[in-house]
Amino acid sequence: MKIFKTIIAALLVVCALFMIYTSYTAKDSLPGLLERMDPQNLAETDSQMQRAKKRVTDGLMEDNKEKTLRGLERYLNGFADKLVIDTQVQYELFAYQNGPSMIAGGLLLLVAGIVLILSAYCKIAQARRLGIHVLLITVLFVGVYILENTVGANSMLMMVLKKGAIYALVAVAMNLLNGFTGLFSLGQAGFMLIGAYVYAIFSIETGNRAQVYQYYAGGLIQFSLPTLVSIALAGLAAAFFAYLIGLPVLRLKSDYLAIATLGFAEIIRAVFQYDGLGPITNGSNLLRKFPVFETVLFPFAVAGVCILLIALMIHSTYGRAFKAIRDDEIAAEAMGINLYHHKQMSFVISSFFAGVGGALLAMYQTTVQAKAFTAAMTYEILLIVVIGGMGSISGSILASFLFVAASEWWLRFLDNATVIGNFKVPLLRSGFRMVVFSVVIMAVVLFYRQGIMGDKEFSLSKLRDRFTRGKGGAGRV
Amino acid sequence: MNNFISANLPYLLAGISVGGQYALIAIGYTMVYGILRLINFAHGDIFTVAAYLMVYMNATMPLYISLPMTIILTVLLGFGVERVAYKPLRQAPRMSIMISAIGVSYLLQNLMWYVTGGLAQQYPTIPFISNTVRIFGATTKIVTLITPVLTLVLVMMLSLLIHRTKIGLAMRAVSRDFETSRLMGIKINNVISVTFIIGSFLAAIGSMLYFSNYTAVTPTAGAMPGLKAFVAAVFGGIGSIPGAVIGAFIIGICENIIKALGLTTFSDAFTFALLIIVLVFKPTGLFGEAVYEKV
Repeated sequence: MKIFKTIIAALLVVCALFMIYTSYTAKDSLPGLLERMDPQNLAETDSQMQRAKKRVTDGLMEDNKEKTLRGLERYLNGFADKLVIDTQVQYELFAYQNGPSMIAGGLLLLVAGIVLILSAYCKIAQARRLGIHVLLITVLFVGVYILENTVGANSMLMMVLKKGAIYALVAVAMNLLNGFTGLFSLGQAGFMLIGAYVYAIFSIETGNRAQVYQYYAGGLIQFSLPTLVSIALAGLAAAFFAYLIGLPVLRLKSDYLAIATLGFAEIIRAVFQYDGLGPITNGSNLLRKFPVFETVLFPFAVAGVCILLIALMIHSTYGRAFKAIRDDEIAAEAMGINLYHHKQMSFVISSFFAGVGGALLAMYQTTVQAKAFTAAMTYEILLIVVIGGMGSISGSILASFLFVAASEWWLRFLDNATVIGNFKVPLLRSGFRMVVFSVVIMAVVLFYRQGIMGDKEFSLSKLRDRFTRGKGGAGRV
Repeated sequence: MNNFISANLPYLLAGISVGGQYALIAIGYTMVYGILRLINFAHGDIFTVAAYLMVYMNATMPLYISLPMTIILTVLLGFGVERVAYKPLRQAPRMSIMISAIGVSYLLQNLMWYVTGGLAQQYPTIPFISNTVRIFGATTKIVTLITPVLTLVLVMMLSLLIHRTKIGLAMRAVSRDFETSRLMGIKINNVISVTFIIGSFLAAIGSMLYFSNYTAVTPTAGAMPGLKAFVAAVFGGIGSIPGAVIGAFIIGICENIIKALGLTTFSDAFTFALLIIVLVFKPTGLFGEAVYEKV
C-alpha cells in the first residue's frame, strides 16, 4: 500500500513538473513551432498566409498574449489544409494556448503528490488532515483559475464568483456576531461603508485625485497607499468605529441593540455624504479610479484568509466563550466569562472583517457611493446568514454563493417577458425575479428555519462516513 | 418679529404635522412590541402599500369608495401578514420572528417594485385637506393643521378602547404577561390580530396624511418614516401609547428645526443619534416601565 502510494505520488510530481516546464518553455518555442508546422515554407508563396503568420509573430514581439492567441487561432483555422500538425505540435500548441491553466494544473498535481506522500509516511493524523484540506483549497483555486481562463473574466459566472466570495466574507463576519455570539446587530452595511470608503480614499492614485475630487479642489489627502495596506486600513477603521459605538450600545438587550446598530449605520451614511467632509469623502459624489482586482483569485484569496481567521477564532477558547454567551448570558457570566469584554471583542472583530468585505466590494463595483449602503444591504446579508444557518460558517459561505447566483443569474429569466408560440407567459416582467426570490426566502425563514446547514459545519470525515458506512442512519453520529 | 414668525412658522407647522403622522405609525409599532415583543419591520412597508392602494384605487373609483377601500385593504394586509409570517413562529426564538419581519419587509418592497415598475407615483390630491391656507403670513396645506387634531382624536379613541372595553382589557393583560393571560382564557391569537388591525388602520390614515404632504410614492418611501416612527416609539418608552405620541411629536419638530438650520443631510442622522442617546441613558424611554429579567 505504502509503495503503491509512493509510486503514484512520484508519477504525479513528475507529471506536474513536466506540465509546468512545458508551459514555461512554450513561449520560446512558438517561433520554432511555426516553422515546424510549415516545413515547405508555403507562407513565402501565399501572401494571405504570410499576413496571418505575421500577425502571430507581431503579437509575440509585442508580448501581447491575447493578440498572439487570436492570431494563432485564425492562422490555424484558415490554413489547416496547408499546415502539418502532428501530435507533438498539437501538444505544444495546447501548452501554449493554455499555459496558465497548465501551470495551475501542474501545481495541483504537485500538491496532490505531496499530500499523498504525507498520507503514506506521516504518523501525525492532524498533519494528514491538514494535507487534505490544503489539497481541497488548491483544487478550488486551480479550478476557479482554469475556469476564469476558459470562460473569460467578465462572464456572468465570474461575476457571481467574485461577488459571492465577498458576500461570503461579510456573511461569515455577521454570523460571528449574530449566530455565534447571539448579538442581533444590523449595522453591517455601515461598517462595510466605512471599509469601502477608507479603502477608496487611501488607494486612489495621486495623479487621479484632481479628477475624482474635482468639486473639492483635488481633495485633502495627497498620497496613496498600496492596495493591501489600504484594505487592512479599511478593516481597522471599521473596527475602530465598532469599538466606539460598542461602548454604549453593547449594553443593550437584543432588539434594542438591533435598532441602535441600524441607526448607527444610517448616521454613518449621512455623515459620509455630508458636504463639509467633501475634501475627504467627496461628499455625495462617486469615488472612483482606485485599484480594482483583475482576477477572481484576489477576492477568493482575501476572503479565504479572513474566513480562515474567523474559523480559527471560533474554534479557540474565545469562540467557546462566544457560544456560551449566546446560549445563556447569565450562566456564561457565572462561569467567569466577562460578558462585556467578549461582546466587544466579537463586535470589533466582526466589524473589522465587514470593513475588509466593504473594501473588496468597492473593488468589485469599481466605484463607491454612500447611497448604496442602505439597511436593505444589511437585510440581504442577514437573510444569507439565515439561509445558510445561524452558527455555521460553511452554511454562510454556501448560502452567499447561492444567494448571489440566484438573484443575479439564475432567476434573470423571470425578468424578461417571454413568448412561447402565441402564448405570452403571464407575470414575467421586470421585477418579478425579486418577488419570486423573496417568496423563496420567506419560505425558508418560515418552514426551514434551520437553514441549509443548521449549526453544523461541512466536514469531510462525516461525508466520508456517510458514504462508506452505507445508507441509513448508521453513519450519522 | 412678524418676519421671524412667517419665516419659521412653516417649519414648526411641518414639524407638528409630520410628528402627528409619525405618531400614527408609531402606535402600530409600540402596540405590537408591547404584546409580541417584536419590532415589526414590515410596518413601514404596510404604510407604503396603503399609499399605493390609494394611488391605484383613486385612478378608477370615486373618493368616497377608494378612501374606505384603502383602509379596509390595508387592515386586511396587516392581518394577513401576522397570520402568515408571525403566527407560525409563536414558539420560535425572538430572533426568528424578527428575521421573518425583515423578510416580509423585503417581500413587500420587491412586490411594490414589481407592480409599479419602480417609478415614483403621484399621490392623488384629496379635496379639502390638500388645499392651501395662509396663517400668520405662512402658506401651508390644510392637512398640516388637521393632522395633529386628527391624531389626538384617534389616540383618545384608542385609549378609550384600551381602558374601557373588554378587548382592551385583554390587550393590557397580554402585554403584561403572555403565558398567564393565556391560562386565564384570553384568546391570544384574537388579541394579536386586533392589535395588528388597529396598527394597520392607523398606518393607513397616517399614510393618507403623510403622502398628501410628500406626494411622491416610491416602494421605499415608507422605510424612513417607518424607522423614525419606531425611534419615536422607543423614545417615548416602547409599549406606551402616550409615550409614542409624544416621542413622535418631539422627533417631528426637532427634525424640522434641523432642516430650518440648513442641515438637511443630518435630519435623519439626528433621529438615530437621539435613539442611541436615549437607549444608553434611559433604555426604557420617557414613559416605559422598567423590566427586570428573572433568572
